Amino acid sequence: MAIQTDAGAAPAASALDADAIRGISERLGEPDWLRQLRADWWARVEATPPPTGAEEEWRRTSLTELPRDARLVADAPHVRCALDDDLAAQGVVFSDLRTAAASHPELVRRWLGQRQASSTHAHFWAVAHAAWTGGTFLYVPDGVVVDRPLVASTHLPDGEIAFFPLTLIVAGEESSVTLLEQVASADSQRSWYGGVVDLVTQRGAKVRHANLQQLGDAAWNIGAQRVEVGQDADVTTLNAEVGSRVTKVGLDVRMTGAGGTSRLLGLLAAGGKQHIDIDTLQDLIGSHTTSDLLYLSALYDEARAAFYGVTRVEKQAKGTSSYQECRNLLLSPHAGAEPIPVLEIETNDILRCGHGATAGAIDPVQRFYAQSRGLTEDEAERMIVRGFFEQVLAQIHTELIRERVLTALAPRIGESEGVAA
Amino acid sequence: MAIPNQALKQIPDSYKYGWHDSEQPLPVFKKGLDADVVAEISRIKDEPQWMTDLRLKAYRHFESRPLPTWGGDLGGIDFQDIYYYVTGTGKSFQNWDDVPDYIRRTYDRLGIPEAEKKYLAGVGGQYDSEVVYHNIRTELEKQGVIFVGTDQGLKEHPEIFREYFGTVIPANDNKLAALNTAVWSGGSFIYVPKGVHVELPLQAYFRINTENMGQFERTLIIADEGSSLHYVEGCTAPTYSTASLHSAVVEIIVKKGARVRYTTIQNWSHNVYNLVTKRAVAYEDAVMEWVDGNLGSHLTMKYPSIYLMGERAHGEVLSIAFAGDEQHQDAGGKVIHAAPNTTSLITSKSISKGTGRTSYRGLVKVYPGCARSKSTVRCDALILSDEARSDTYPYMEIDEEDVTIGHEATVSKVGSEQLFYLMSRGLSEAEASAMIVNGFIEPIVKELPMEYAVEMNRLIQLQMEGAVG
Repeated sequence: MAIQTDAGAAPAASALDADAIRGISERLGEPDWLRQLRADWWARVEATPPPTGAEEEWRRTSLTELPRDARLVADAPHVRCALDDDLAAQGVVFSDLRTAAASHPELVRRWLGQRQASSTHAHFWAVAHAAWTGGTFLYVPDGVVVDRPLVASTHLPDGEIAFFPLTLIVAGEESSVTLLEQVASADSQRSWYGGVVDLVTQRGAKVRHANLQQLGDAAWNIGAQRVEVGQDADVTTLNAEVGSRVTKVGLDVRMTGAGGTSRLLGLLAAGGKQHIDIDTLQDLIGSHTTSDLLYLSALYDEARAAFYGVTRVEKQAKGTSSYQECRNLLLSPHAGAEPIPVLEIETNDILRCGHGATAGAIDPVQRFYAQSRGLTEDEAERMIVRGFFEQVLAQIHTELIRERVLTALAPRIGESEGVAA
Repeated sequence: MAIPNQALKQIPDSYKYGWHDSEQPLPVFKKGLDADVVAEISRIKDEPQWMTDLRLKAYRHFESRPLPTWGGDLGGIDFQDIYYYVTGTGKSFQNWDDVPDYIRRTYDRLGIPEAEKKYLAGVGGQYDSEVVYHNIRTELEKQGVIFVGTDQGLKEHPEIFREYFGTVIPANDNKLAALNTAVWSGGSFIYVPKGVHVELPLQAYFRINTENMGQFERTLIIADEGSSLHYVEGCTAPTYSTASLHSAVVEIIVKKGARVRYTTIQNWSHNVYNLVTKRAVAYEDAVMEWVDGNLGSHLTMKYPSIYLMGERAHGEVLSIAFAGDEQHQDAGGKVIHAAPNTTSLITSKSISKGTGRTSYRGLVKVYPGCARSKSTVRCDALILSDEARSDTYPYMEIDEEDVTIGHEATVSKVGSEQLFYLMSRGLSEAEASAMIVNGFIEPIVKELPMEYAVEMNRLIQLQMEGAVG
């Protein structure tokens, strides 16, 4: 994979500050509106202090070792996006955000930086909006159906870098699109990856968005994702977290339009001393909305997974349906899990509401059965983990995404070849 | 505060669990708390120096700790507007005939059945801060069981008392436990010797009967190896117009192979802040069960805990909460697995109606090395009105691989088909709703002693009157 490195980067500009933000605009030769937008978001960064650790969502991840002095990547890397001509002809825009800001300024200006993240992630959301130097822009006009999966991939340059890619997805009315975003970096690079996703769906839009994170084993991944589900819209998101030293991602799903549906899927495969902490909010605001969440973790070595998920059914949201499920498979005596599914229900007019959370080792009966059929202990474990993940994998209907997710998981959970389904 | 008056209005005329006897003059103490008041309480009780020192240490801790910011809204509590010590009648009674009429009347209003009165020998009733009635059945005495007021326990059984007091819930555990340690008065002290099985549930009633009277009872139960005990604590309170605070501490030690069940039905009047710390430690092969019913109070924050310290120990928490208008029941349970092969079960059923709010808050923690631990947490919530609210905050911290830990929760409303069916059989909407609610809490009610189960069903019916619409 071609890696564009930040060869001519300025000397290590220590922490982020207003000058550094202006420097990005200078270097990229940005128009006034974009300079102003960055400055406005920087003002919000300064007005919104980083989490202290006292917030419920931040109690399980300490930011003291976050490489805040990492060098801000100004020039790189471009996200690799490819869009077929026929789709471009229908008005679909899919490119690196920097390219889009230059090629489709009106469109980007209309949608970029217009939304606020939940208060607990507001700081990092604002940082990315002020300091982004890359990211993905996807716009699908009303009524356009993108019939093949789009892929955006990023490989981070080496070094102690800070990179804040911003993904902005706007799906017009009755449109349909599937996007896979992949990010990877080399091991032992203490970088700060602060990716945010801003996904907006209008009436009846259908979006599938998969995030495949394969950062190196020293990277800090502090992300925020905001999903707005419009009237009768249908959104599936997948977070497959494989890499990084520390991952802390906040997923904020707002079911604003009546009749909207969201499926929130997660696969975590962690080992070594990895720490993965996900917090989610399924905010049921509109009537007759449906939101189902399923996060699965397989935890090896000394890995730790925390999950804090809130389902909130607001007073005016009638006839909603929601479920939240978090399962943790502990594959080492030193692995740990803290699944915390929270319900806050302010109305009695609900169709269905509940949650489930589990943590435990492989059922010895399953293991015994698999070994009695001639599998070695390792093979049995691989097969069982693969079967455990199938609950999510079965809901990924795009073959390309399934394959890439399985490939990314393989170094951790083992190849799935040779194992009968 | 507007709350108590509204709370008063919604209580039906037939409400018989809130009453208010004319107070006997009890001008012992001033309102408010400082180190002098703490020392004075200890002096009046003629306590040993170690207890005085412990109270003062706890008071300093209480002062230095902030109020919890999670859970319910504690802003309505004015700690300087509370009496921290009141004597009820000034002496304890040897037998039932000596109990003054007005106290017996209050027991009658509780609707204690005749059959149970026969066993009142096994009842310790608490009137205000002092134990006024404790008649130990001779049978229990013969078995070597100690069942006395906690103050009496300190005097009569100093060694065993000091060995265990404050070991399960230390003075600096939390702000309210510190407050209780500083000003505690009354409660029960129970010791069950090795191998002794107390067949009859031991019962104690508590009530508050002085305006702004805080109750800070302290209960200490020790079940020695292979023994068993069922303790029942029920409390009702008269209704007053200003906030009242109840902050008890209950410590239970369940030794190897012993079995303790602690049942509470709490029906404080709707102005009471009920902030209670309850914790048990269970050793090898021991079984600890909390049955916890929360019906009354303005705000309850109570999470009975079990530390499973020995192999094969088992813990259960059964929790029912009912929150009506302006009530917040923030209840739940905690189980800490600190030994291998330990098992636990938490079952919570909560009902919110009107503008009431129920919150389940719980913790299951498994320490490294506690292999083959199993825990199941099951929370069901029923929301009866559009204005009501229900929350579930189940915390889990699992640091051991070889475990089976599960949590499940559902939230639902009373189905219109269920109501329609019952009403088509001739029930009123209120009766039908009460029947559905009673069915919902049945798994826990069936664990209560008969009289309590009956009373619980009556209370639900009472609560459901005017709940529909």
